[in-house]
Amino acid sequence: MHMDIGGITLKIKQIIADVADLDVEEIADDATFLDDLELDSLALLEIGVDVDYEFKLGVSEDRLSKLRSIPETVGLVTEILSQKAVA
Amino acid sequence: MRSDARRVVVTGAGIACAAGDRMGELWAAARDGRSPGVRRPELALDGMPGPLAAFHDRLDVRAELGREGLRALDRTGRLAAVAARRALADAGWPAAALAGTEVGLVLGTMFGSLRTICEFDRRGVSAGPSYAKPLDFVNSVINAAAGQTAIRFDLRGVNATVSGDLTSGLQALAYAADLVRGGRATALLAGGADELCAESLYGFHRLGLLCGAGSERAVPLGRPAEGMVLAEGAALLMLESLASARARGATILAEILGHGSAYDPGRGAGAHHLAAAVAGAVRSALQDADRPAGAIDCVSLAANGTHLDAAETAGVGRGLSRPGPVPALAAKAATGETLGAAGALQTLFAIESLRNRRLPGIPGLDPGAAPALAAGGGTSTLEGSTALVTAVGLQGKAAALVAEVAPQTTDHDRRA
Amino acid sequence: MSERIVITGLGLVTPVGVGREEAWRALLAGCCGIREVESFDATGFTSRLGAEVRGFEPAGLLARIDPAGVGRASQFAAVAARLALTDAGLPTVADPERAGVAMGTTSGEPREIEDFDDRWLAADYEGVRGEFVNRYRCASIPEVVASEAGFRGLNIMIPTACAAGNYAIAYAFDALRAGRADVMLAGGADCFSRITYSGFSRLGAIAAERCQPFDRNRQGMVPGEGAGVLTLETWEHAAARGARVYAEIAGYGLSCDAHHMTAADGDGAARAMIQALRDSGHRPEEVSYVSAHGTGTPTNDRLECAAVGRVFGEGAATLPMSSIKSMIGHTMGAASAIEAAVCALAIHEGRVPPTINFSEPDPECPVDCVANECREMPVAVAMSNAYAFGGNNASLMLRAWEAA
Repeated sequence: MHMDIGGITLKIKQIIADVADLDVEEIADDATFLDDLELDSLALLEIGVDVDYEFKLGVSEDRLSKLRSIPETVGLVTEILSQKAVA
Repeated sequence: MRSDARRVVVTGAGIACAAGDRMGELWAAARDGRSPGVRRPELALDGMPGPLAAFHDRLDVRAELGREGLRALDRTGRLAAVAARRALADAGWPAAALAGTEVGLVLGTMFGSLRTICEFDRRGVSAGPSYAKPLDFVNSVINAAAGQTAIRFDLRGVNATVSGDLTSGLQALAYAADLVRGGRATALLAGGADELCAESLYGFHRLGLLCGAGSERAVPLGRPAEGMVLAEGAALLMLESLASARARGATILAEILGHGSAYDPGRGAGAHHLAAAVAGAVRSALQDADRPAGAIDCVSLAANGTHLDAAETAGVGRGLSRPGPVPALAAKAATGETLGAAGALQTLFAIESLRNRRLPGIPGLDPGAAPALAAGGGTSTLEGSTALVTAVGLQGKAAALVAEVAPQTTDHDRRA
Repeated sequence: MSERIVITGLGLVTPVGVGREEAWRALLAGCCGIREVESFDATGFTSRLGAEVRGFEPAGLLARIDPAGVGRASQFAAVAARLALTDAGLPTVADPERAGVAMGTTSGEPREIEDFDDRWLAADYEGVRGEFVNRYRCASIPEVVASEAGFRGLNIMIPTACAAGNYAIAYAFDALRAGRADVMLAGGADCFSRITYSGFSRLGAIAAERCQPFDRNRQGMVPGEGAGVLTLETWEHAAARGARVYAEIAGYGLSCDAHHMTAADGDGAARAMIQALRDSGHRPEEVSYVSAHGTGTPTNDRLECAAVGRVFGEGAATLPMSSIKSMIGHTMGAASAIEAAVCALAIHEGRVPPTINFSEPDPECPVDCVANECREMPVAVAMSNAYAFGGNNASLMLRAWEAA
């Protein structure tokens, strides 16, 4: 999958918007899950599943559950995608 | 004589169904022989002719419920929540008043969230178990819609789900009424909800119960039985003790006098035995209501256009066992088969007819085939105050309920 | 109208045995029915533990219905019902119209959906049988039970997830007291399914090694399957035929958290217990034993213990409260029905089953969980707790039978 950081960020925001009943425009690129978006644990789990599925990451649940914000999520996705591109 | 605390009255209703969101609309559609919302959905299932089905396309859930928390609700949950909101408002039960009283909810549903369950399973199977969606799993339990609705409206009283096939809605009303009669609840929303999905449509199609390609609408009591139109919808009544309704000055629409049910251990395989179960349910409802068969002024049938109609009409005739035909209504001519919502809709249909003092008419009724019933036309008058509501399941269940319209609301002028 | 409702028959289908005697003996001995999942391919799941009913052969255990025509949960329910009738010495009833059925479930017949989904994914639409609707409907469970029993009266399914067994028993209790029936078969049934399993797995709720409720190191629950059915009668009906009475249903309480679908708030649980005590007319200190919901998840056990602490006060620390889920896993809609049967047996025999796998106390669960060994003790009054998705809470009260 080839996607730049802007595209990845937008996709992640779309996933969050769907789970959290928000419009994408309302979600800041640097939003945090708990303080800014007030997501509960079930919503976070759902977002983790959707991000993993969308980008075909195949990443451990442990790593997904540690994510606290959109930049961290973008960072994880970029890191894994670039590793996959190299491999 | 029951005390006021143990008498159960209807003080409001909330409807969200394809044929209309207000009882007046539904009743007028039945009178005019219309079935609003019916269309042929495109299904991605090979070999299946597009069946007729009634979708509530007009329902603007976001406008109705607000945006927050919508993702958590699947279609069944959304329909139930919309009906609950409308019923609470109709009963004049503002949110502020809820804080001090534990309002309950008894939701009848035939399938619960069938589509969510199937989608959850298929995603897990096709993508792997770690991709199964957590929010969908939460809604995969059959009581999800009732739980979600309780969360949304802070309904902390008894919260129950009842799944009784095509009798789900009447069973839910009966259960809720008994909770009030037994002193276990003061006020509950009761009725039911079911979504319409490709999975249920296809299942009913394979059972051979859906209207064929030549039909434009379901014809209850039609001969031969052409089949039913599956419909999505929700309907909830506010049931509360007469004492509670009087104390808060609520408008009383009707009183639930009693109910009864029965089961045919042959699982409905023989029409005669199924009719006997219906007759048994009718007799036990009359006994519970402490009314003779002669007190019944009209019967609101579950008739949906399938083979079940014949067993129902025969059973009602035997259960009432009285000379002369009884005026009859068939709500599903207008609404389609709404599964869980049907019991509350049929009850409201009877209330509306008694208040209008008119029968909407049943186009398919053949007096020769059902001598115990009189359908009348849109203009024939209906006198009296007491209705029998009946339901029959696919596999042997039968249920009946007796309701009496409150005296002050039988005045047609008041309504206008 | 009858005021007093008695339990005269018990039918159990569990991962540690089928039938009252076999299951009860295993539970007292601390037998564990949790193994690696067999009924579907659990490759890809992080945990593979399940409590399945293995080698279940319904055909020889039923008198009327053909088990091949119904789903697995209905088979469990029908067998449990037949066992409950036999146990009650009530092979037939005099007046079938006054005999009813109330059952609970979490998922109904999920394996029918799985079969449907497999065909759907394979685009084998023609292979979907017409009976899919009939077999999948959870309403079929009480129907199959009533057909097996020949009962023509009340027939209701109350699918309030993991509290459903208690709801069904409570419904039957009220129906008998209101004079709507003389005899009721009441309980719950659920079967193991990849749907339920993958759901709990996805929520991270399944224990990797063992189910150890109330232990400081508990890791989670283990999905299970089975059925529990109780024969309930009005005292007059039971007395007229000289029936043996295990215990009396003393009352119940239902409440709703209205808080969160999966995260309990503890307040609703406490309200259900308080209502149940009030309904039964018993004071907290009169309760001898609590059958805990006790799933073994960190959150459930902590919140349940806190709620018990609020209701029972200082007495909570010494109140015997065990969880048989440590042995048979969480049998979902069947759980509270099986647990009600266990309470009836505890009352009747003066023995309570243990919580197995207990080694290290948790300061957040300061209860006497009857660790690892069953205990001989008189049980006059028992409370059975059940909590469910959707915030549905149900507490049931049972007491020793003494004819007035």
